Amino acid sequence: MIAAAAAPSRDRTWGAGLFGPVLVLLAWEVLARVLDGAFVLAGPSAILSYLVEHAGLVWRALGATLTNAVLGFAIGNAVAIVLATTAIVVPRSEALIRGLALLVFCLPLVATGPILRVIFGPGPWPQITLAALAVYYTTLIPLLVGLRAVPSGWLDLVHSYGRGRVAALLHVRAHAALPYLVAGLQIAAPAAFLGAMVGEFTGAERGMGVLTIRAMRGMNVDMTWALATVATAVAVLSYLAIGWLARRALRQDPPIILAPPATPEGQARRLTGVTNLITIALAALILWWAMITGLNLNPFFAKGPAEVWSALITSADAAETRQTLMQALSETAIFLLPGYVAGLASGAVLAMLIVLFPALAGTAMPLAIALRSVPIITTAPLVVLLLGRGAVGTVVLVAIMVFFPTFVACLHGLRQAPGRVLDVFDSYAAGPVEKLLRVRIPAMLPAFFAAARMNVPASVLAVTVVEWLATGKGIGSVMALSASLSDYDMLWSSVVIVALLSAGGYAGVGWIEKRVLRTYAPEQLA
Amino acid sequence: MSVPVVCTNVAKTFRGAVEAVTPMTLSFEAGQTTALVGPSGCGKSTLLRMIAGLETPSSGQIAIDGHPPAEIRRNAGLSVAFQDPSLLPWRSVRGNIELALDLARLPRRADQIDQLIHLVGLDGFADTRPAELSGGMRQRAAIARALSTRPKLLLLDEPFGAVDELTRKQLANDLPGIWEASGTTTLLVTHSVSEAVTLSDRVIVLSPRPARVVADIDVALERPRQPEVTQSDTFASIVEQVSAALAVGVGHTLPKAAQ
Ligand SMILES: Nc1ncnc2c1ncn2[C@@H]1O[C@H](COP(=O)(O)OP(=O)(O)OP(=O)(O)O)[C@@H](O)[C@H]1O
Ligand SMILES: [Mg+2]
Repeated sequence: MIAAAAAPSRDRTWGAGLFGPVLVLLAWEVLARVLDGAFVLAGPSAILSYLVEHAGLVWRALGATLTNAVLGFAIGNAVAIVLATTAIVVPRSEALIRGLALLVFCLPLVATGPILRVIFGPGPWPQITLAALAVYYTTLIPLLVGLRAVPSGWLDLVHSYGRGRVAALLHVRAHAALPYLVAGLQIAAPAAFLGAMVGEFTGAERGMGVLTIRAMRGMNVDMTWALATVATAVAVLSYLAIGWLARRALRQDPPIILAPPATPEGQARRLTGVTNLITIALAALILWWAMITGLNLNPFFAKGPAEVWSALITSADAAETRQTLMQALSETAIFLLPGYVAGLASGAVLAMLIVLFPALAGTAMPLAIALRSVPIITTAPLVVLLLGRGAVGTVVLVAIMVFFPTFVACLHGLRQAPGRVLDVFDSYAAGPVEKLLRVRIPAMLPAFFAAARMNVPASVLAVTVVEWLATGKGIGSVMALSASLSDYDMLWSSVVIVALLSAGGYAGVGWIEKRVLRTYAPEQLA
Repeated sequence: MSVPVVCTNVAKTFRGAVEAVTPMTLSFEAGQTTALVGPSGCGKSTLLRMIAGLETPSSGQIAIDGHPPAEIRRNAGLSVAFQDPSLLPWRSVRGNIELALDLARLPRRADQIDQLIHLVGLDGFADTRPAELSGGMRQRAAIARALSTRPKLLLLDEPFGAVDELTRKQLANDLPGIWEASGTTTLLVTHSVSEAVTLSDRVIVLSPRPARVVADIDVALERPRQPEVTQSDTFASIVEQVSAALAVGVGHTLPKAAQ
């Protein structure tokens, strides 16, 4: 996920860079004209003419969504920075901060949306909150890595003048972490836009999300495609803009400083696994309860831990509720798991192919980096249009959502293989396949697993959005239904269950990661 | 102004397995320069780091002017030139020196900084970043940084390791004046026996890991040292003594290692 620092190579000429996109546009237009009347595909010309005709409408919607996205971006990243620096200055708090942050990140946005809607009312705050929720975690994690990726000698220097962790943070860590912060912000920019749009799906008055829902309900193909195109353009531009600003500010390509994480002491002080889990669970429950009671929310829609417990375990219809949730979850799993695995596999395989056949990289890389920043979710209506409301569409959408970040991370990991080790292999005239197997893939594994972990909540988001919007199956549709029926017991229960399952999936991938790395790349665990 | 350092039964074992320093009792007189020599990996850096308070001894006590190391650090009375220069890559040579002054909460004085940069032979490189310096130049920048706070206790861990022979002699000639004039207590780790003898009032020879004192040799050469000092018979005999002690230290543990 650190891969964001990988910039498209600048030596390729403009001509070659333009050739691919122009070809794609042409093919797209031709296909759209061929399929005319099938109500699935709008070509570039149709999109353009829609945008020209409805410029005012789209412009106002874009303004509303952008404002919310920018606010959410600022708030979410500010929270991430505060959390990361707290974890570094008070190492004891790190496990707790990480655990709570993960749990909150795993909240299914589509269900959090309606809950925030009843709490905040019709204004922009639900969208802003969702945008913030969509970004803070992807900034927090690289920032924690960056704040710690400091040679121990620099910290010794600070301590030798009798200064402590705060001085180390200000004078050494903050600057060393900048490239990592940039990497996080780059991913955050499109994610904030996505979060704001998902927030608007759930009953906002204005915005791109509102228009998207309207277009989809009205089967308006041109409008759906036009909105998706605008959303994509905004996402790609914001990604590029942050990279450009960062290069200006840092006066160079952000260097990723690789150094062994220091502070073995700090690690020893961290709580052990089980104590950690209990602390995190307790803290989460207390925070949840405090929020419900502290904000004095109406108990009709604001459910605390006790209500959810009773809805799931002790009440008269608890068995029925559990039955419904289980049924929905198993439907969701059928879409989710194949999509997740296919996305991971295709991302990793394509990255390897590019390393084996570098000629492919010239066109594939810039395209992939641009596409990675596309808020895939906003194209969900398109996928539904193209592939129908059945299983294929959902699986493909999840796979696409997982594919891009995995691909970019893996490619970065493959290229991370230490040059000197490759030189040694070259000196024995080892072939590209041998180098791939013995040097590059082990070097790729950590990046692959980092992507695999982050993609658990991301794919849950993808699948629930599609279910919510279109398919009418699975946990996403249960959430949609209970939100519209004001069945808040069910809504809160499904939020809790989905958050726990995704956090568990995240932890499970982490567990597999440790196993695999121990066997195939023990040096990466150091 | 100057501070004595007393180590009482100081020992260090890493992760309960690697014994780096065996219980060792040593005292370093205020204002003296002491050289520590010993084979690579014997525990010299570990000893320095414990004296700096950057590593906690597994057992024993360290007292600097009667206080634990944290005290002198708090008063910015300590400087360490680390074995690897540890310069911040985003700061220039001057910026790195200013960082030390900031950390020590001392005023930045441009003329003093320039003078130090001149003394370590980095004229014209004050505004250069470490990545554009050679290894030896980086080490010299680190020495300048260590000296900039005018410490009471100066710990130098192979400060001239990557510096060429000629510059090394030059530095060995110019620098001691700075710390001797201010009565700094200096501990110098080096692999060069002649450098140890040229610079110090006393040479302590350590055994291979775990470090143990093999010899404690006074350097009875007059101060300030002149470049010609290396020609004298006394110098030659002390160098011989130190070299012999080093060899004994190694020989002593060979049979043990063979077991
Ligand atoms: N942080 C650490 N954790 C574990 N072992 C360590 C650590 N630091 C040093 N050691 C071990 O302690 C021993 C002494 O290390 P030290 O760095 O003090 O040697 P040294 O005498 O300075 O060597 P050199 O002359 O090569 O710099 C070595 O065997 C080393 O492996
Ligand atoms: Mg050393």
